[in-house]
Amino acid sequence: MRFNQVLLLSLALGYASPAFAQTQDDFFNPEVLQRIELWLNESDWAKLKTNFQENTYYNADMIWNGITVRNLGIRSRGLGSRRSQKPGLRVDFDHYAGGQQFLGLKSYVLDNLSQDFSGIKESVAMKFFTRLGIPAPRETHARLYVNGRYAGLYAVVESVDKTMMGRVFGSINGNVQNDGYLFEYNYVLGSPWRFAYEGAALTPYKLRFDIKTNESHAESRIWGPIEELVRLVNDTPADRFEQTINPRLDLAAFVRYIAAQNFTAQDDGFNGYDGMNNFYFYRLEDSTSHVFIAWDEDVGFLAPDFGITTRLTDNVLTRKTLELPGYQSQYFSVLGEAATAAADWMRQEMQRQLDLINQAMLEDPQKPYTNDEYTAERARVLAFPEARITYVRCEVSKQTGSARPAGCQ
Amino acid sequence: MKRHRSKGCCLFAVIALAALATPAAAQDRRGFVWDNRPSIVFGEDINIDLKGRVQMDGRRFDPRIDEDAFDIRTLRIGLKGDLTKHFDWEIEREIDEVVIVTEENQNLVDIGAVEPVWRFGDWKDVFINWSTFDVLRIKAGRFKMPFGLEQNTSVSDLDFAYRTLGSTKIAPGRDRGVMAYGELFGGSLAYEAGVFDDDGDNGELEEPRFVQEGEDLENIGPSFAARVVGELFRRLPVHDRLKGAEIGVAFTRSYVPEGLNSLRGEDLWGFDFFEPVYVKGHRQRIGLQWDWSPGPTGFRAEWMQSREQRLGQSNRNADLSDFIGTAWYTSATWIVTGEDKDSDVTPNHPLFQGGFGLVEIGARFDRLTFKSATTTGTAFRNPRSDFLLPNSVSTFTAGANWLVNRWVKVVADAFRQSYEDVERAPRVLGSETFGPTVFWSGLVRLQIAF
Repeated sequence: MRFNQVLLLSLALGYASPAFAQTQDDFFNPEVLQRIELWLNESDWAKLKTNFQENTYYNADMIWNGITVRNLGIRSRGLGSRRSQKPGLRVDFDHYAGGQQFLGLKSYVLDNLSQDFSGIKESVAMKFFTRLGIPAPRETHARLYVNGRYAGLYAVVESVDKTMMGRVFGSINGNVQNDGYLFEYNYVLGSPWRFAYEGAALTPYKLRFDIKTNESHAESRIWGPIEELVRLVNDTPADRFEQTINPRLDLAAFVRYIAAQNFTAQDDGFNGYDGMNNFYFYRLEDSTSHVFIAWDEDVGFLAPDFGITTRLTDNVLTRKTLELPGYQSQYFSVLGEAATAAADWMRQEMQRQLDLINQAMLEDPQKPYTNDEYTAERARVLAFPEARITYVRCEVSKQTGSARPAGCQ
Repeated sequence: MKRHRSKGCCLFAVIALAALATPAAAQDRRGFVWDNRPSIVFGEDINIDLKGRVQMDGRRFDPRIDEDAFDIRTLRIGLKGDLTKHFDWEIEREIDEVVIVTEENQNLVDIGAVEPVWRFGDWKDVFINWSTFDVLRIKAGRFKMPFGLEQNTSVSDLDFAYRTLGSTKIAPGRDRGVMAYGELFGGSLAYEAGVFDDDGDNGELEEPRFVQEGEDLENIGPSFAARVVGELFRRLPVHDRLKGAEIGVAFTRSYVPEGLNSLRGEDLWGFDFFEPVYVKGHRQRIGLQWDWSPGPTGFRAEWMQSREQRLGQSNRNADLSDFIGTAWYTSATWIVTGEDKDSDVTPNHPLFQGGFGLVEIGARFDRLTFKSATTTGTAFRNPRSDFLLPNSVSTFTAGANWLVNRWVKVVADAFRQSYEDVERAPRVLGSETFGPTVFWSGLVRLQIAF
């Protein structure tokens, strides 16, 4: 039976011998503009585009680098980025066949770049987060062809799933971290949330934390620890905050995450303008400890002078954590570290990626912005790193009382 | 849950009344009469009867699956009557429990935080029948299409708690239409032929219809259905008891528009073991039936098959091979208390009227399989695959019925369901992995029907 399944999957994926040489790193290789072909029934493509607000799956075949993958499922995805003309897509290899994988992946995302006129904000942000040691998905770009027609330039984004958890966290105490509790934060329209306690009932937490693994476990096992974490964050006084919360949430990693997100001037992230948004939350396997995973950073790089303390007091978790001198100091320290990391790298990386996608972006017939808007945004983004680095360094010096660097106003 | 308990109190009152009720003779009486059921008699062949039925199930599953242990399976109320000796009519409606979805509560519905409410649901039978002549009768309205022996047996007269999967998933069930029917050759051959609006409740479209610009919105149907049932052994030199055996053949044909509109595989408990696939073209069913009830025993068997076209449904818009559903069953029952197994099985000696009621035991095996006509290449589960990985469910049912009187029936059944494809079998409650493929379940049902 097992052999038959393996044989079936091999046939399904249409592996020819050169395909065995391909790896996930090839698929997410950021140095290459990928070409991905999807083939699906014309009525399905029309349905998907018309019903782009729905998560209905459609069957498709995929061709990448000479490899044909059959029997996969695609659906529209995104929140504010959903578009009919150029749908964001989730590609699931195991939707119709449990266990079917492609290069070890169960799925990936084709980000339609509809909110990112430059086309590179998210891929640069994710790469930057990774450089700072923050869990973030791998990304590259691709020309997408649907039924033989160019459907536009897309970002190819690694799915945040068990496979990625195993890759990012590896083995802890001999246990590969691929079976913890993974949640996608669900932004509830009209109900901004800033980590305030919502009572002992689990329903509010079920609504906001969409479980992605171990779905069949008892609700108390899945969401009970989140309710407990939120309650303790809200109720625990400062003198016992660190010792109480740290076993349940890696506070140092959390501070690193929000500082890096602030550096990239992301206004729709954890400390977003309308409450928390755009992240995954992972409870490590056989542990009570949670960590944040970066996700959906395509509206970052808002402005070089995006305040480094923007909304730090609005969110209960952020406020109570940064009220502790050690973590406040760490926050500004990470901002400084981010500025240093960006100085040698960010503009060059932006330029490299822009050069890579330029022709594909100009030829993209479905993008919801003009080529002039793309060109203007491209220039604006390229100007961001230098101005931001200076601004952050100056503001950090103000906050910490350290020596003012050159260029501060 | 509170609703269940409060209804339970009312139902107990009905049960007590039904168990103790004694039929009153309706002959030569006008006004309110309780014979088979509460009735208002206006005159000879002019009357209105109240009919109702409730089925309450206590269930057990091994291993446990995500199903409630208590279920009100059926709650229906209706009226029927005669309008002179030429016409009769019937209306019946389901009362069911549903979750009301609104824009405001969609998120809560998604996480299962909204309680269902009781309300009037689907109409069941709504028809008028002209029956002046035996050789030609006309029925018009909403009623069961003439396909499937068991599907056309009333839910309260079944030998087992549930119909077989073929009877509920392949046979079309009710629809709006008009049908001619009658008996020929002294009643040894019965025929039914009708035209219907759609293709029955079991074949209706579940996916919202979608058309591209410039295309017309297509509906399912109309469908044509016909059945012929005869006592083919009547004129043959066989044992007298065999002469009453009925053999029938049935056929339906309809048009199904493009979409995820195929018949679907659903097991006893509502689990989808074969999700709908994309179809476009004609849907056709053929069925064979056997019904033989010598004395207190009954032997039934059916075989039925559906074929649905999949024109232009591949990922590259090419035709796919037909989608095929095949089902069969065979069953045997024995009324231990000796009553005849005919169309109106009632106890000779009801409880509290000098007897114990009627006791019947039986066993049945049924199987429903869905697959594609093509069986070459690589098989997939996706709904646009040319070679669809087959899946089937085989169910062995053994049980006993106790008819306390003509209105109250207690059913106890055990089911062994076996699934061919482990990935399309129910998940054990709390399990992340596939398997097992064999599930046992048991049921005790209290049924009141009048």
